[in-house]
Amino acid sequence: MAIEEPLEKWSTAVATVRVGATAADGGTRGREIVLGGEMTLPFLHFEGATPNKPVVAMEVLDIAPQDWPDVLMKPFADVVDDPAAWAAKCVNDYGAEMICLKLEGTHPDSGDKGPDDAAKVVKAVLEAVDVPLIIWGCDVDEKDNQVLPACSQAAAGERCLLGTAKEDNYRTLVASCMADGHNLIAESPLDINIAKQVNILVSEAGLPLDRVVMYPTTGGLGYGIEYAYSIQERGRLAALTGDKMMSPPVVCQIGQEAWRAKEAKASDEEAPQWGAAEKRGPMWEAMTAIMLLQAGADILIMRHPNAVALVKKAIDELMRS
Amino acid sequence: MARITVHFEPDGKTVELESPATALRAAELAGISMNAVCGGEGMCGRCKVIIRSGEVRAEPTAHLSREEIRNGYVLACRCYLDGDATIEVPPESRLEGAPRLTDEDALRFGSTRVLVGEHRPYPHDPLSRKVLLTLPPPTLDDNLADQERLFRELRREREIPVMQMGLAQLRQLAALLRQNDWRVTATLGRRGGTVEVVEVEGGDTSGRNYGVAIDVGTTTVVAHLVDLNTSETIARQATYNSQIQYGEDIITRIMYANTQEKLDRLSACVVDDINNLIAGLVGSAGVSLHDVTFALCAGNTTMMHLLLRLEPSAIRTEPYVPTALAPPVIRAAEVGVKINPRGLLGWVPAVACYVGGDVVAGVLVSGMARSEKPCMLMDVGTNGEIVLGNKDWLVCCSASAGPAFEGGGISCGMRATRGAIERLTMTDGCRIASYSVIGGGRPAGICGSGLVDLVAEMLRHGDCLDRTGKLSMSNGSSHVREGEDGLEFVVAPADQTATGRDIVITQADLQNFIRSKGAIYHAAECLVERFGLGFQDLDRIYISGGFGNYLNIREAIIIGLLPDCPEERFQFIGNGSVQGAKTMLLSQPALEDGEAIASRMTYIELSTDPRFMNDYTSALFLPHTDIEKFPSVWKELNRQG
Repeated sequence: MAIEEPLEKWSTAVATVRVGATAADGGTRGREIVLGGEMTLPFLHFEGATPNKPVVAMEVLDIAPQDWPDVLMKPFADVVDDPAAWAAKCVNDYGAEMICLKLEGTHPDSGDKGPDDAAKVVKAVLEAVDVPLIIWGCDVDEKDNQVLPACSQAAAGERCLLGTAKEDNYRTLVASCMADGHNLIAESPLDINIAKQVNILVSEAGLPLDRVVMYPTTGGLGYGIEYAYSIQERGRLAALTGDKMMSPPVVCQIGQEAWRAKEAKASDEEAPQWGAAEKRGPMWEAMTAIMLLQAGADILIMRHPNAVALVKKAIDELMRS
Repeated sequence: MARITVHFEPDGKTVELESPATALRAAELAGISMNAVCGGEGMCGRCKVIIRSGEVRAEPTAHLSREEIRNGYVLACRCYLDGDATIEVPPESRLEGAPRLTDEDALRFGSTRVLVGEHRPYPHDPLSRKVLLTLPPPTLDDNLADQERLFRELRREREIPVMQMGLAQLRQLAALLRQNDWRVTATLGRRGGTVEVVEVEGGDTSGRNYGVAIDVGTTTVVAHLVDLNTSETIARQATYNSQIQYGEDIITRIMYANTQEKLDRLSACVVDDINNLIAGLVGSAGVSLHDVTFALCAGNTTMMHLLLRLEPSAIRTEPYVPTALAPPVIRAAEVGVKINPRGLLGWVPAVACYVGGDVVAGVLVSGMARSEKPCMLMDVGTNGEIVLGNKDWLVCCSASAGPAFEGGGISCGMRATRGAIERLTMTDGCRIASYSVIGGGRPAGICGSGLVDLVAEMLRHGDCLDRTGKLSMSNGSSHVREGEDGLEFVVAPADQTATGRDIVITQADLQNFIRSKGAIYHAAECLVERFGLGFQDLDRIYISGGFGNYLNIREAIIIGLLPDCPEERFQFIGNGSVQGAKTMLLSQPALEDGEAIASRMTYIELSTDPRFMNDYTSALFLPHTDIEKFPSVWKELNRQG
């Protein structure tokens, strides 16, 4: 007698968010990326469709990184002072599907660059590459509220992902996204309730949920990843069981969190017993990414080219049904 | 050290004391009750006074605005007097005005319950009875002793297995019986399982027998005088618990009572309050204090300990063990409560450290312990409690809401007394349409029910408040402005208030308030769900607590304080504590029911429930993160938005 496979039936799907406007949509991106739309838990193709594959965005800073270890600096040594060239290298040489431009240089403690400078960098990067762009502020609310509207205007019509909006700082960003046709990243501090609250707040402020991506805060391998994993998984279960307010796709800060770990960044001299840093760091980053893919990540923001290559290959295999 | 003279305006009172001393100490000596809810620790910022003349040293404090400092304001408890001074005490810094008699308002909702009497749940059978006896004089054939003769006669009327009598009474008995031709009135008081002949009086005094039921609350003390012969309530009075000057909440007071002397002081405070109330009651009713023979108190476990001068410190520390839950019936005079000198004083039994006899009394009054279907009792107050159950089972938990509903931790907050804004409506654009002030006249602040209305109306009208409770000026509401500590909402401008200053609600006030409402709702939800129920399964939801009476149910649902159930399921029971105590005072079977309720109620410690901690943030939203739990609110807000 044939045994019937026990299948979960999900009532709803993850929301679909389109990032990047092509010429047809009035933008200049080479192609549009569609995020989300999953009708099942990650990669359970026998249970439901996963119409859009997770994508890898590579991180580009507007200033030369202050605290990146040598292993991470090496691939970008020739471009770290030129965000446009850096972005181009990520796309052309390393296969980045999106670029995440982080405006570290606008942080009051690391350069305190103004809105005009930031907007110039955004324009330069948009000209250098044709993939969709994520514009990420410096996480100082007051500064972000000055800088991001200028960047938003500079990128008007390109349907970027702008972030991040938080529970107590979202109105300015929502207004910018609505005015300039961008999508929004809604951040929450590893708290599923606050994640939902931010989504409610931005949608009540007028931005539809199909223009929101959630950033539930990421924990790196060995440094709280299980907590990040379970928050992400709980959010995804809510999205699949009818909670519309939890339906937006999820973005993860893989590179930033993985490379905080001493296991990733310690040099060969500091930790000879751990194996070659050249391999160890990228592996740490790739492991972090692959684990969070299983929790339902839709965008992985990453740093090292080798890690990117490993993860893209893994995604392709996971997408094969 | 030197003697200094301090003069208080506008009271015109002058006191002399040793310097250095705080202005608060001087005010205390002058008999001016200051609103120092933190006990003079500089924490609450309520004891603001104005130095009119004299040298003072004021410690810096965050509780005064720049404008206030310019105008000579200091905190009385943080201001040291080195020489003579003249000090003005503004109205908002005073503790005054009797609290509103909660039962009058409970009447408004038609819910004051008389539970004792014919065709009612409990028979008339008071804890203290006067019985007129005509004893057969002794003869050679019937030569039983005087005491036993009295007992025999009493037992003719009804079965009394254990009877006792004090030595002082016994010493007078022989003469008393013979002088009055063997016609005497015996006062019988219940002391647990025994009956005491409390007093024997000559002749017939049986027509005059009274008792007092007392709600000994952390904030207020309420007393009812009842005729023990007829079950009738003759008079009611309420006052503040004057322990407040040593701390607003029970924890502060327990910490204060760390020496015998301080414990005695706290006890004396509340005993004085009770004596004043009783004196007022008998005075207004034309009753002799001598005829008041029983006092039954209900209060939280801490209040009971402090009044009885029992060691309270273990209540506050793990594993939270009080000295007693059901203390013995004592002679009222032993603790200084002035009724008949031989009169008795008892307590409604408590459940645990944080669930006192006041809750047991509330459950008794609600009738939920006799209900077939599950019901809930929500006590909305500083130390709120939630009780769930029916005639077969009862569980409870505490829901520490903090003092926001009673005006604490809110910059212009106040208790529901004269001058408080208690109701409020708005029009679109968050403009205040109308408000009503308790006692009429100009407002001095806003009380809990006013806050509930305010937040609900802000949600309904315009977008000056988002669902996390954050204010915004984005729509240019004229009532929202930049204050000293961020945005604030002007409820009443200075030219309309009693204080001459704006009544505002700040961003911090709103966050405090939301934490309070979230704590109560979330505790109720956790308790209900822990027992596999939903709010929709509840037959009735009873609301008790001083604040509860004035609450607008619909507005409380809008903000997510109360669950989204049909309004007719909610019922106010007013001050359940005093009503329950009264019922038990008037009916021994009710007291037995109360004892049964206390012993079968199970206390659930929610703070160890991981769900309680994890999902608390979901209740810190207006009305709730999961709007599906508030379908009618969703409908109403969306129709308007």
